[in-house]
Amino acid sequence: MIALSFITWVFTILACISGGALLVLVYLDNRKSRIDDGIAKFQRHIDALSPEARRTSVHRNNPDDRRFR
Amino acid sequence: MARDLAIDLGTANTLVYMKGRGIVLNEPSVIAVNRQSGEVLATGHDAWDMIGRTPSYIVAVRPLRGGAITDFDITERMIRLLLQRVGVSRFTRPKVVICVPSAITEVERRAVTDATRRAGASDAQLIEQPMAAAIGANLPIDEPVGNMVIDIGGGTTETAVISLGGIVALEAVRVGSFDIDAAIQNYVRREHGVAIGERTAEEIKIQIGSAEPGPEDRSADIRGRDLVTGLPKTVRLTAEEVRFAIDEPVAAMVASVKRCLAKAPPELAQDFLARGMYLVGGGGMLRGLAQRIERETEVPVKMSPQPLEAVVLGAGHCIENYQALRGMFMSARR
Repeated sequence: MIALSFITWVFTILACISGGALLVLVYLDNRKSRIDDGIAKFQRHIDALSPEARRTSVHRNNPDDRRFR
Repeated sequence: MARDLAIDLGTANTLVYMKGRGIVLNEPSVIAVNRQSGEVLATGHDAWDMIGRTPSYIVAVRPLRGGAITDFDITERMIRLLLQRVGVSRFTRPKVVICVPSAITEVERRAVTDATRRAGASDAQLIEQPMAAAIGANLPIDEPVGNMVIDIGGGTTETAVISLGGIVALEAVRVGSFDIDAAIQNYVRREHGVAIGERTAEEIKIQIGSAEPGPEDRSADIRGRDLVTGLPKTVRLTAEEVRFAIDEPVAAMVASVKRCLAKAPPELAQDFLARGMYLVGGGGMLRGLAQRIERETEVPVKMSPQPLEAVVLGAGHCIENYQALRGMFMSARR
């Protein structure tokens, strides 16, 4: 009875430690992806303002602009 | 499914850009209402023709002044009619990006978004006019260089320094081309004793108005009402007189540009000397204004190829790339 209780405790503690480690790993992974997200988001923002991106909206409405034809 | 829209809700003109189609509407921001029944009688060009010529029961008004809503109810009705005219129905609720002056207050911003949502938009986002103008004027704002844009509208003059897709320095004053018209009206009333309407004042500005002396200086005969006799009267006005009359609002615009230049970081200031400043907006089309700004700031000034459409084209580009450019909307930066 005492041995069974001891093994249960050991497994419980091991499960808690593993769970904690998993949470830390998930947090660190998320943090890394958030940093990458910032870079990717800014790049998308800048790319969307490039002359090539503006070809479909701004240039289409400018009959005098022949730079992209 | 409604196509998303970009609206340049200007004091003078309203332009609408439809996603995938381009500019679909361009007309004066004027609405004519029956004062007794509250019915809308005309909008746009039809309403503009009525200004100053209506019977007492009709009122033709511009519901925006200085880029801000002065009459919420009438503005909402005007936006609702605009949306209907470009195909928005009760069942198709588009996303709308609206260009507003950067100088408007939080209350005024909320008035614009509320009016647009109540008029039928599913989402209403605001973008500063100079930022939209820089996109629409094709300035290389995706590069780490200083781009300076001066947007002179009907009610505001806004100058912005833009680099890497964001505003670095901004200066705005509530002085625009309507203040130039008002200055002409006041001058003719004071110096010639003749009352003229705002449309006549605008015509004088277009015909002989200038900010700097030029070889094309002319004079024009103007007709109005004699303040003493009350009878119609014609007076001759010279370009020099008009220049004197409008000097105060023009000087305020130039001073605003100078303040913005003073706010710009030194690294970007050197770019302006090489690349120049870009003038957009209907007010920027005043003869000699670019030369006057150039003379007073010693920085080259270039006119945008599409001064009247630059703002709505820039906002239209934002609606075409809604997700990527969400960070440009005013709500995203609060």
